Amino acid sequence: MLRYVGKRLLMMLLTLWVIVSLTFVLMVTIPGSPFNSERGTNEAVQSNLEAHYNLDEPYIVQYVLYLKSIATFDFGPSIKQPSQTVNDMLGRGFPISFELGIITIIVAVISGVTLGVFAALKHNQIIDYLAMGFAVLGISIPNFVLATLLIQQLAVNLEWFPVARWLSPTHMILPITALATGPMAIIARLTRSTMLEVLTQDYIKMARAKGLAPWKIICKHALKNALMPVVTIMGTLLAGILTGTFVIEKIFAVPGMGKYFVESINQRDYPVIMGTTVFYSAFLIIMLFLVDIAYGILDPRIKLHKKGGK
Amino acid sequence: MKKGLVYLVGFLVLFALAACTAKESAGTEEENGAANEKEAVEGKILQLNNGEEPTSFDPAIGFDNVSWNALNNLLEGLTRLGEDHTPQPAVAEEWEISEDGTTYTFHLREDANWSNGDTVVAEDFIYAWKRLLNPETGSSAGFLGYFIKGGEAFNSGEGSADDLGITAVDEKTLKVELENPTGFFLHVLTNPAFFPVNHKVAEENPEWHAEADSFVANGPFKLESWKHDNEMMFTKNEEYWDVDSVRLDGVHWVMVNDINTEYQMFERGELDSAEIPAELSDQVIDGDNVQIVDQGGLEFYRFNVTEEPFQNANIRKAFALAVDQENIAEYVVKNKAKPAHGFVSPGFTNPSGEDFRDVNGEIVSFDPEEAKKLLEEGMQEEGYEELPRVTLSYNTDNVNKDVAETIQGMLSENIGVDVELENTEWNVFLEDQKALKHQLSRSSFLYDYADPVNFLESFITGSYMNRTGWSNETYDELIANAKSEADEVKRWEYMYEAEKMLAEEMPLFPIRYYNQVEVLQEGVTNILRHPVGYLDLKYADKQ
Repeated sequence: MLRYVGKRLLMMLLTLWVIVSLTFVLMVTIPGSPFNSERGTNEAVQSNLEAHYNLDEPYIVQYVLYLKSIATFDFGPSIKQPSQTVNDMLGRGFPISFELGIITIIVAVISGVTLGVFAALKHNQIIDYLAMGFAVLGISIPNFVLATLLIQQLAVNLEWFPVARWLSPTHMILPITALATGPMAIIARLTRSTMLEVLTQDYIKMARAKGLAPWKIICKHALKNALMPVVTIMGTLLAGILTGTFVIEKIFAVPGMGKYFVESINQRDYPVIMGTTVFYSAFLIIMLFLVDIAYGILDPRIKLHKKGGK
Repeated sequence: MKKGLVYLVGFLVLFALAACTAKESAGTEEENGAANEKEAVEGKILQLNNGEEPTSFDPAIGFDNVSWNALNNLLEGLTRLGEDHTPQPAVAEEWEISEDGTTYTFHLREDANWSNGDTVVAEDFIYAWKRLLNPETGSSAGFLGYFIKGGEAFNSGEGSADDLGITAVDEKTLKVELENPTGFFLHVLTNPAFFPVNHKVAEENPEWHAEADSFVANGPFKLESWKHDNEMMFTKNEEYWDVDSVRLDGVHWVMVNDINTEYQMFERGELDSAEIPAELSDQVIDGDNVQIVDQGGLEFYRFNVTEEPFQNANIRKAFALAVDQENIAEYVVKNKAKPAHGFVSPGFTNPSGEDFRDVNGEIVSFDPEEAKKLLEEGMQEEGYEELPRVTLSYNTDNVNKDVAETIQGMLSENIGVDVELENTEWNVFLEDQKALKHQLSRSSFLYDYADPVNFLESFITGSYMNRTGWSNETYDELIANAKSEADEVKRWEYMYEAEKMLAEEMPLFPIRYYNQVEVLQEGVTNILRHPVGYLDLKYADKQ
């Protein structure tokens, strides 16, 4: 196990290095500069600015400086907002994005699994059709459309919730609903189909024959196996939710990290691009790693490490 | 299966019903919309949206609208634009201008103070302006200081700060020497780039502007709190010399960077003012609570005269006259946009009180017949059998796309020319435009100060703003005169002349003048938006 983790950690670092390098290459190859403006500044000012941010150095030196800033986790000040450091921005934005993301995942998993289980149990009955109809809608409506619809109906017309911003639990309901509906629908459909399959397995019949309580059969025996595919797609869902937050944060004016990620590219704010990319990729890689570990724990059939042949 | 379908349809109907419930006209409760910051301050609080985080509250760095909205209400320069958009005494109580128009002596108010109690002194202006022009600062507003003697030299790293024509005669008297008599210098001074900086505070803490705790204001409001990328709270500045004119107790700013959300917050009563999303324009624009004011500026298209077929003036003019500005303004841009038939936007008055636009009149008007003729002439002059391919470029944006497609249609219909469209992201677009890689490209200009020369000088030879490859000695001379002539009447003559020349040569053609449109909650009054783009809340009130 330890050897496996160590190996994975090394792979993670390698992946991160590849991402960082690719980002750097892309960054210097796209046209435009952070100091590109409608009104020109004169050359003295321009070269002063470039020198200040080391942009006058050869690319290789810039690259080394970047690697250094990543290693020390100090990305320096933003170019566009010079009195803010990238660390300030990450420190401010990440907790909020994380909060939004983690609650969304919890909500999506709980409601998705519940919906899926009920649909499977009431196979071909009203509940099944309702749940699956709902799931189809959830998958097909993009989150930004749903977000606008939710705001217009529940916030503006019915006045049940505030329109936007991130101040209290009531402010969180709409953005989380908008963001969680898609993943929830996917989870519900997946749970339903695996649950249906599992329920016909011999060991379930066996459990029934033994006279176990129905809820016990479902929770202890069926669900555990039915959840495996859900865990498998968690990685992809996580990435989806992360990128989904960019849009949702903008619509609901949630002061998270998404804005920095998107805006920095438009503004060619190099330190912020680097900081957010590294941070996001590191976060995603770690999460995927955790999912893999969880996989091994849930399903003993999956061996995380190859035992040497005897 | 059939049964399932019935349920699904039923469910959909329910969903649709829920989505279509009529809007209930409930009272304007604010229970959960109230922000925690807002509750801390009692009284009349105006709720506004700044869209995004201000770039910087350092007057030399925050050279954009998101910074100006706030800065213009936190700090105050020597002069301030009044309700008629002309410069009025502000920190400077009065001033003398020398005979030759190159020396200004400003007398600062005795009671002009900073929010920390310090008095505003001449040295505060000198400190701020030296910073603005210092090449080390990296200010993109530096060019505005070139009117000051020695400004350009210092900013380009050749001169020194000591050679600048600004001196403190005494603590409350500031003498400014200019390069040339600049009739509009008092206008230039209203730009936030010329706001003072409390030099004592700044010398102690160069980052004084970064946080609310250390920020010192000398304007109608002071910065009570600032949660970066989230919200700001302004409160009335009791130290302000004209505090009695300030009617609001505070301003609460949010940063919501989505125009639809902003409008929905307005509908819900969480904001006192909002922009109108284009899709809702038709329904909302005629309401009583809509405020529309001019913004000095022009949307236009640049020709690249160094590429075929636009080296030919007749072909350029043919393209320009084939575009129907009325149609674009009314049906494409909407929001009561004004079609532009000249280059200088309306709102600039000459010494005898006439509007620049009225004097020069309509100089570029839609005329498909004339356009066809000009195209033929031009093609003959160049010996074209067939017009070389033309690509029209714009930076990616929904409105830009609609306008570009409309122009494409008009060119095809009116002069039988089929152009291709191409769009790129802003930064790439700007880079290409500057490198003259486009043939015909979308452009826009917003004024920095209220004088037509601000726009007209863009098209002199070698100007950074030119980007057309067009160069004309007579034009260059006219602009040079318009910038240095002491006699205002003559100076305006030069500018009229220059604008007519643009229509004659047509290195660019106009589309529309900008305006600022907002909806206001009932009882919100006196929000002043100046054509040069600054927002003034000094006199704003809320019932």
